[in-house]
Amino acid sequence: MTRITLMFSRRLRIKVGAALTACRCFHTEPVGRESSGLPVVHHRKYVCDLPPNHRFPMGKFPRVLYHLIKDQVITEKQVWVPEIASKDVLSCVHTEEYLNNFMSGKTNEQEQRRTGFPWSEGLVRRCRYETGGTVLAAEAALQRGLACSTAGGTHHAFPSYGSGFCLLNDLAVAAKYLMGSSLPKRKVLIVDLDVHQGDGTAFIFKEEPCVFTFSVHCGRNFPLRKQQSDLDVSVEDGLEDEEYLAAVAAHLPRLLETFRPDLVLYDAGVDPHGDDELGRLRLTDQGLYQRDLYVMKSVVSRGVPLAAVVGGGYSRDSDKLAVRHSIVHRAATRVWRECGM
Amino acid sequence: MEETDFNDILDDWFIESLKTYKDLHVYQLEHPTQVLEWTSGKTVCVAGFSPSTNEILELHLPLKLFADDNKGLCAERDFKVVHGGFADGPVRVLRHVPGTRCVVTNDGLTSDLQVWSVGGDDSDVIRLTGRVEGRKRRRRKSVSEGGSFRIAAGLSSRVLHGAQSSDVQLTQLISGQILYALETDSDDPLSSLHFVDDVVFLAGCSNGNVYIADTRTSAAPQLHPPPASSGESVLWWTDASSCSVVRLSSAGQAVISDLRNPAGAVSRAQLDVQSGRCNPDVRASWAPALDGCIAVSGFSAAVQIYNTSVWQTESREVQPLFEHRGHAVSSQPGDDVFVTAHVWHPERPRTLLSAASDGSVHVWGWVDQSAASC
Repeated sequence: MTRITLMFSRRLRIKVGAALTACRCFHTEPVGRESSGLPVVHHRKYVCDLPPNHRFPMGKFPRVLYHLIKDQVITEKQVWVPEIASKDVLSCVHTEEYLNNFMSGKTNEQEQRRTGFPWSEGLVRRCRYETGGTVLAAEAALQRGLACSTAGGTHHAFPSYGSGFCLLNDLAVAAKYLMGSSLPKRKVLIVDLDVHQGDGTAFIFKEEPCVFTFSVHCGRNFPLRKQQSDLDVSVEDGLEDEEYLAAVAAHLPRLLETFRPDLVLYDAGVDPHGDDELGRLRLTDQGLYQRDLYVMKSVVSRGVPLAAVVGGGYSRDSDKLAVRHSIVHRAATRVWRECGM
Repeated sequence: MEETDFNDILDDWFIESLKTYKDLHVYQLEHPTQVLEWTSGKTVCVAGFSPSTNEILELHLPLKLFADDNKGLCAERDFKVVHGGFADGPVRVLRHVPGTRCVVTNDGLTSDLQVWSVGGDDSDVIRLTGRVEGRKRRRRKSVSEGGSFRIAAGLSSRVLHGAQSSDVQLTQLISGQILYALETDSDDPLSSLHFVDDVVFLAGCSNGNVYIADTRTSAAPQLHPPPASSGESVLWWTDASSCSVVRLSSAGQAVISDLRNPAGAVSRAQLDVQSGRCNPDVRASWAPALDGCIAVSGFSAAVQIYNTSVWQTESREVQPLFEHRGHAVSSQPGDDVFVTAHVWHPERPRTLLSAASDGSVHVWGWVDQSAASC
């Protein structure tokens, strides 16, 4: 992947922890000619080496961008490159002890086993870039109205431990960071449509009134030990496009009206797809596309910014999977055009 | 144990299984089965064993299992029932007759065979089409003896069946003609019956005696006594491949012999089985497509795979190459779940089916962790 650099007007960098003033801080590397298309956040270090035959489809991340460019859905000018998430940013969600152990490779075997990954420095780096990417997508959304990452959705990570292929909770970090620390805090709605419950995110924001967690998931998928989101919709195995969409539509407009978020973070996981190896639902490509269109249009047409992450998807065919993940970017491009953004 | 803790254990196992299993499909039958028998490369028969009416089902394995490189193309992840029928009593043994659409069963109460036809004429029914009377011998019934009715089905619709060494007979199913009757001095309860080739078969008894007989001759069968055991009374189970015999005792002692010389022992081992059960229904079977590997089940809720090619002449404690704990993990603590049957896939090297007393049926294949993959 060729390194993409775009020039962007420099902004003052403000240390995290200090109040967010009117001067926004973009966690991005210097960028080039102003890009006016849909921002797509990507970093080539979203990947790391894994042992051969590892079940996690690491190869999908660069392929998502590749397919979007090859199919002329986006151009390279639209790519925003995130910075690595600093320990400061991560510590607004994760404990000091966990971050120290995680970054220095001191998590024990038992902890590593639950994550599904063997520890490596490359793994730490890619998780931090991925989190940085979600934070940047959220910031870009606030500025431009809509943005997508080519990774993200690590919603099984808890403050002090990782689980289910998730080591840092990118959605939680982005929500916490963009929420701000001084009043008035931004209200963030997290719409998690990955087939697995966003248990880490639900736990993290259980007592936080400014963040609303909404998860639609298959009851019989991992994790069996569920947390309590602000709104959980647990669906049966085998659910297809129409009923799934109805389940989302039954709640989303009402949430937008009553909670009135200032920002929506959208986990557009493709594991509800019928061909997903782990998910137990039966959505089709069309179903995923309609779902993403529906969510993004509902939010953006109300003037609320939305940042999307790709979420989960499991298949041994990385290319097919990457194309499936790119559905959300294609839907976002259409929304961008139709809403005249 | 709290339900949350139980779910946590299941979640941990799920994540771990992603690494250790290549395939894992879980199915829940309404009633547990003691039989698992292939009727083709993709279909398997199961049947209930309750005292009254029981279903016999032919299931098609999940299509996803066979898709290898194109798993994305196969939506079907479930077992599908393709044929079904009803039996008046328990089904304790079920065998598919090769080259036909027939299966034969026994209810464990008599020595008769029931003959069934699976589907046919565009029907989805498994129908009873006939019976074969077994040799009637007065049986000394003693629980500690172990043993049960056994069936082995050979080519040209010839079926071996019996419950004791003295009543084993080879019947031609189509004509009902008795082609051969095993004559032995003692009435040893059977624990296994296998065709070694078209004409030679092996009858393993629960007291450890092994008879090898040639159905073409009227010569007396060879009798091989059990390996020396630690003195306490144990039960034995046997399986034969084309060249080897494995004998497994209820105490976990395993002995491998060459089929041409069953009296001698090529290697021995003490398996890692804790038998909490007083009357385990143990199965030991050679892998059809993985040299030297055996699968062992019935002692607990696990199925263990052992690589016998690394065993030595002196018995040593050995660890399994792989252990499938899916039936244990997914059962509630306190339930005494045990595996009732297992069977290797006839062609795929590391794929098995297993069934447990809670009605679960799993098809699973493990990841070959060794550097040099077979």
